[in-house]
Amino acid sequence: MAVLGIESSAHTFGAGVTERGKILANCKSMYKIGGTGMIPMKVADFHARNARKVIQDAITKSCICEGDIEAIGYTKGPGLGPCLRVGQLSAKTLADSVGAPLFPVNHCIGHIEITRQSFGMKDPLVLYVSGGNSQILAIAEEPFRHYKVYGETLDIGVGNMLDNFARAAGLVPAWGSKVAEVAKGGSYIRMPYTVKGMDFAFTGILTHSIKALSGSGVSDVAYSLQETSFAMLCEATERALMLSGKMELLACGGVAQSSRLKAMLGAMARAHGVRFGAAPDEFNADNGAMIAVVAEEMLRSGSEPEPPAIDQRSRPDAVRITW
Amino acid sequence: MVSLGSPIAEGAEAKVYNVKLMGIDAVIKRRESKPYRERQLDLQLRSDRTKSEARITGMASSLGVNAPSVLLVDTYDIYMSRVNGIGMGRLIGGSGVKARLLETVGIYLGLLHNAGIAHGDYTPANIMVGPSGAPSVIDFGLSEITHSTESKAIDLLLMKRSLSARQYASFAAGYRRSCREAAAVLARLKEIETRGRYKTRTLVAKG
Repeated sequence: MAVLGIESSAHTFGAGVTERGKILANCKSMYKIGGTGMIPMKVADFHARNARKVIQDAITKSCICEGDIEAIGYTKGPGLGPCLRVGQLSAKTLADSVGAPLFPVNHCIGHIEITRQSFGMKDPLVLYVSGGNSQILAIAEEPFRHYKVYGETLDIGVGNMLDNFARAAGLVPAWGSKVAEVAKGGSYIRMPYTVKGMDFAFTGILTHSIKALSGSGVSDVAYSLQETSFAMLCEATERALMLSGKMELLACGGVAQSSRLKAMLGAMARAHGVRFGAAPDEFNADNGAMIAVVAEEMLRSGSEPEPPAIDQRSRPDAVRITW
Repeated sequence: MVSLGSPIAEGAEAKVYNVKLMGIDAVIKRRESKPYRERQLDLQLRSDRTKSEARITGMASSLGVNAPSVLLVDTYDIYMSRVNGIGMGRLIGGSGVKARLLETVGIYLGLLHNAGIAHGDYTPANIMVGPSGAPSVIDFGLSEITHSTESKAIDLLLMKRSLSARQYASFAAGYRRSCREAAAVLARLKEIETRGRYKTRTLVAKG
């Protein structure tokens, strides 16, 4: 008996299958982002064309038949409305045809849980960094068991900031790994630094960096931007670590693919005798397996099925953790 | 350099050590290098923050707010007089916190705000209550000179999250008495609390 998860919050349509926590398949198709960024309706069209094939691939690859599907999870949010709707509709259609219960899953919780499980962590502090989100969370029991947000971005996600810079600097493809590549060999120029306790903000440094491009080399700006923004994340995380007293730290989300960020967090964790882990890139990028992981936890812990809604602004700290 | 022993307090960016300076009980707040940080950024952040904290701590005293006296400032070190007492954070759970004390804490925040200082971490842990029951404000490490009503409202929000409704009422009464722009800051606080992100976070902070 297996659980199928569908992810469609942004550029990736993914389908994954798990069985007792074991990942049997993780298939995806990713929309190619051009110079204009993501136009939600176009991305949703792309997902609608690929949904059937990706889901079929996941079923085939995991060697199950449709009748083995015990439950289906889909991304409820946060994400782009039209894209979320494609995932929701695919999940609903499949659930109706195989007669399985449907579990709406918060995207952030998916990233956290698949990483937590893969490292066997019990009670970690989490740095969740992606395009649209950047948050520091950990489990709290009151007023109900949930991931409490210790700190978060006050404006845009760190990934979004890096992508915007890449686009302004004419880098192709316009995303963080390209910024990291260009940053190699750069030297430091002064950047604005905004950390407020455990919260942080990125629009100031983005504007500054784009302006700096006219007077400094792109390599120097990219290097300074990356070093400064990651140092901000590390400082806020370190403060949360000390405040919460947690002994495990995990990083997840698209930006957690950065080897520089992982190295910085690892060094910081070591200094406090804290265990650090970040998921393999396959699971830091958006994927269906993480949605299946959470749906299976919801199913096994007897979570009440919820109305199959979507919520573009779904917050991780509003989710009841029943496992 | 004197041997410092083990720190009496350790934050994310600094450690505090007990020392004696010319016979006076003092503390050193030292900003240590972070292994993960780009070297130039590391030096810049530590020296900028040391300078800013020393300056604002000194300003607070001259405003009449009970705060440590700055004795000496080095590149990454601030030598300050030692504040004896216990953190208010350890008192607020019991019945030991008098309305008068909370009112004074509110008055102090108003005085800081009048001078354009946002404390940045105005929580009970950063209020030391002396043997006589008089409060002192410590740790201006996250403070800034600002015109921002938002930053000032965040000071109120942080304290409010840690207090009971009754305790907060005393604190707010003190604040209203001393702060010239209390009405604007309190209005902003109300607005912040209705924003989605703070709703849940305020809800769970006491948990």
